[in-house]
Amino acid sequence: MTKNRKWIILFLTPGIILFIFVFLISIVLLVGTSFTSWSIGSSISFSGIKNYIYLFTKDKDFITSIFNTIIWIGLQSTVHIFIGVVLALILSRARWYTSIVRTIFFIPNIISSAALGLLFLCIMNPQFGMVNNIITKITGNQFAHNWFMNPDTAFFSVTMTWLPYAGLVTILVMAEMASISKEIYEAASIDGASNFQQNIYIVLPMMRNIIGTATILAATSMLQKLDIIIMTTGGGPGARTMNMPMYLYKTALVDNNYGLANAQGVILIVLGLITLISVRKIYRMDKER
Amino acid sequence: MKSILKKAMALMITLTMVFTLAACGNKDKKSDESSNGSKPVEITYATFMVGSHVSAAAEKEVLDEFNKKYEGKIKVKVEELPSDDAYVNKMKALAASGALPDVINGKNGLRELAVKNGQAVDLIPFLEADEEWNKYVGEGAINYSKTDDGKLYSIANQQQLVGYFYNKDMFEKTGITPAKTWDEFMSNNEKLKENGYTPLAMMTGENAWTTNLWLAAIIGTNGEEGNKYMNTNYPESYNNDLVVNALTMVQKCLKDYTTPDAIGAIYANSANNFLQENTAIIANGPWMVPDFTDTSKAKEGLADRVGVSLYPNDGIVTQYEIGYVLCTNDKSKEEQDAALEFLKFKTGKEAQKIFLEKSGALPLTANVELSDEYKKANPLVVDLIDLSTKAKYGFENMDNTAYSSVIEEFSLSYPELVYGGITPEEMATKLTEAADKHKEQ
Repeated sequence: MTKNRKWIILFLTPGIILFIFVFLISIVLLVGTSFTSWSIGSSISFSGIKNYIYLFTKDKDFITSIFNTIIWIGLQSTVHIFIGVVLALILSRARWYTSIVRTIFFIPNIISSAALGLLFLCIMNPQFGMVNNIITKITGNQFAHNWFMNPDTAFFSVTMTWLPYAGLVTILVMAEMASISKEIYEAASIDGASNFQQNIYIVLPMMRNIIGTATILAATSMLQKLDIIIMTTGGGPGARTMNMPMYLYKTALVDNNYGLANAQGVILIVLGLITLISVRKIYRMDKER
Repeated sequence: MKSILKKAMALMITLTMVFTLAACGNKDKKSDESSNGSKPVEITYATFMVGSHVSAAAEKEVLDEFNKKYEGKIKVKVEELPSDDAYVNKMKALAASGALPDVINGKNGLRELAVKNGQAVDLIPFLEADEEWNKYVGEGAINYSKTDDGKLYSIANQQQLVGYFYNKDMFEKTGITPAKTWDEFMSNNEKLKENGYTPLAMMTGENAWTTNLWLAAIIGTNGEEGNKYMNTNYPESYNNDLVVNALTMVQKCLKDYTTPDAIGAIYANSANNFLQENTAIIANGPWMVPDFTDTSKAKEGLADRVGVSLYPNDGIVTQYEIGYVLCTNDKSKEEQDAALEFLKFKTGKEAQKIFLEKSGALPLTANVELSDEYKKANPLVVDLIDLSTKAKYGFENMDNTAYSSVIEEFSLSYPELVYGGITPEEMATKLTEAADKHKEQ
């Protein structure tokens, strides 16, 4: 054991050094500077909780960005996961099209967000976009809706660039499903359980942990979503598609207000922790099956 | 023995990983720190004029010419950034850590950041010491960038005259001529629309360039008061009738007289709509002229069908570029001198000539003459210069007068203005709040 401990310490050392210098120091600096007034070229001065008071009482766009982020986390944890799991259940019964559908469904996950954003800009372009062309063909009337810039559809359009593409969830759930013994299905069939009943009463309960893990991945991805928003709406119109990472980016690089941006960063981390703990509690991931 | 070997290998792997990580931090350290004078002095410069940028060819030629002239003495290490936005964001991040390149373009508030972080150098003493350079920069550009306390932190390399281009065929078929008043301008738009043409090429993405030129023109030609407002740097409030009236007109243009893709579009979309004759008018400067003859961008023979005009009420955007900043306050004497030589070249006679010929950028003074050959090949530029002498109102564009937070607000608010989310009055308030954000720092 003593011998093993030495090895463990030796191999953990690079990881610990990396964590301390890259993450821990950054987080400490982030939290520390969130209590300061700090912009480019100005000296840093302690300002207490002024930044936090400003964000929650005066900055309407920041409040909107929090609401948008929470809504997207909610949608991603429910609708996105639902789509991925249902498709996994359908594809798990081997059919000739299983591998084709699985591969096609996974394609959006392997394209870079910037390229995906550009792709959607073309698909939804008001002048030559595929969506408007199809509607024009069906209705027979010229349809030139600006999906990303019209305030009525901007949020929906941006959401549609990631919400339905749950290829990762499908792959994860299918991998876990492969580990379920065939005997369990056979026993259920002998007892007269239909495919639907087997999925509801056997498969899904056994998938609890992997669905929880997929939910954490899907929900926390909304705390990092930036490139596709920059490519499509830039957070507009107004602040209708503004999320917390986008607003933080804007505060730091457009307004040059690093103290305020770091306060937003701290709130973003807190929201991430709340999301993580909530998902673990909901899926009872810390408990044995 | 085997166990010792194992341990030694494990230790080596661990140390290698640790040192590799540590070494990453030193990557940027100059390898030729021990320069003994025989090696060329290396200076750094960042540019966004690359790739498909309208001035990319001119920029490349200027850099090539400089490297040729100073071969073995000065070496310019160029960092290329693919767009204006990428350039501004990267420079802001570098300004925060006092690590700006030796020479930068000071646009969008970068000059002010370089002054704030102490890297920018006052250029007045150098200009006074170099008569030749002073002559080609000229008093106009110097006075334009001088601070209240008489310092000069940037030097332009071009003068901007911006009116608008129009499609003569479309105008002729509609039976209209360039408008003399704003009422006539709106009536022209209506007539063009009735004749099946889309009147204006506009865009509200990025810095809303082609849209904000109209906004600036409407304000800048609105009497003495409006003209004064559009010549005021960094106004603190947009809550006034001048701005609200102009926003109301621009709202109408964006709703009724432009292409469906204008809201959220970038400059390239807007330019393409004019170059492909999808629209009749675009507000833009002479740097667009070379595109009219480029058949990979424009329709065959477009150059012959394009005319240039002053804005209604005889207005024109007339200003100098913010220009280049020398950020070498914390550098060695050797590097300071080398960077200054580069700045002189970049803003001097040769560079101004190259930019005029390759990208239609107007020189700072009449000391850089337009050759007869150039005049013959670029009649639109000559027309624009002639028109500028007849203009009643000269004013700046929004990009020069507004804080970057305000420019960002334009692109976020225009869609709401067009689709009824906010009124012109509310948009003016949002712009004022964006300016306040900058002031609060």
